[in-house]
Amino acid sequence: MIYDIAGLRILIENRCKYTERFCAAYLSADQTSPVHLSAKVTNEEFYEEKNASVQDFSDGYIENICLYRGICRQLPSLNRMLLHAAVLEYDGNGYAFLGKSGTGKSTHTGLWLKYLDGSKIVNGDKPILQAAKEHFIAYGTPWMGKEGLGCNSSVPLKGLCFLEQAKTNEIVRLSPSEAATRLFSQILLPTDEENAAKTLELADELIAKTPAYLLKCTISEDAVKASYEAMTGKEYSKR
Amino acid sequence: MKIKKGFVLRKVGGESVVVPVGEMSKQFHGMINLNETGAFLWTFFSAEHTVDEGVAALLAEYDVDEQLARADVEQFVKTIVANGFAE
Repeated sequence: MIYDIAGLRILIENRCKYTERFCAAYLSADQTSPVHLSAKVTNEEFYEEKNASVQDFSDGYIENICLYRGICRQLPSLNRMLLHAAVLEYDGNGYAFLGKSGTGKSTHTGLWLKYLDGSKIVNGDKPILQAAKEHFIAYGTPWMGKEGLGCNSSVPLKGLCFLEQAKTNEIVRLSPSEAATRLFSQILLPTDEENAAKTLELADELIAKTPAYLLKCTISEDAVKASYEAMTGKEYSKR
Repeated sequence: MKIKKGFVLRKVGGESVVVPVGEMSKQFHGMINLNETGAFLWTFFSAEHTVDEGVAALLAEYDVDEQLARADVEQFVKTIVANGFAE
């Protein structure tokens, strides 16, 4: 079936029904016009993923993971890239929160939802970014992490916020090279020359167009205040 | 000395990085960070050149004395060879 994801027409050739249910909200009304890219999982790739998985996942789940990886590896040449991050929308702007698994992306974004009325999660784990003139655009996708938080929408990306757990709250602006170092562990690097080179070019452009911060934070409203004020430039008023 | 095919060099956030592609990505996992001289030499040695030619190129490009340039080139070549990146 053909799906509309991140402004692209994507043909997904799945064998298990899992992916059809999973991507239902993104099904294209036009199933005949040409597509931008297609994804299909080879037996080799499927069994490699299945053998490497720590849990006994269903075949549909395994195929689904492989399909997204296959899609994402082709994105750079289409001016897009996968970002491992939680992207929030607030007041029409997008903010990405990044960190190793377990650093509290969902905890911190959960606090934004709690304290900032009107904020919503565009994608809780694996949004697609598209390079655009002034800012990157972050897109929701069917793949949004184990909590399944996200929606089929897009938002201009105004900030990158790397998270670290701490005893107090502190936010600092990162230099381009510091941002690059941290960003590398949150992107997918394809292995073909064209897409690998384009990924590095997109990463450079992302850093040039999006201010990056390091937030050392606790689980508190003060942590929200710190990231909100740094990234929006506005004063946070406690409720 | 010549660096094997299968690498891509780009500047990201002002820093030069090299990543393996194609067959090379199966042998070598990770990313190489290069300083300015390293990036210059990487590009230079992407074609076959001798150490002496590398020193001459470095001297033509940067305001350094020959002794320092030679030490830089020798160290660079040694690192490339030790990592198996030389043809």
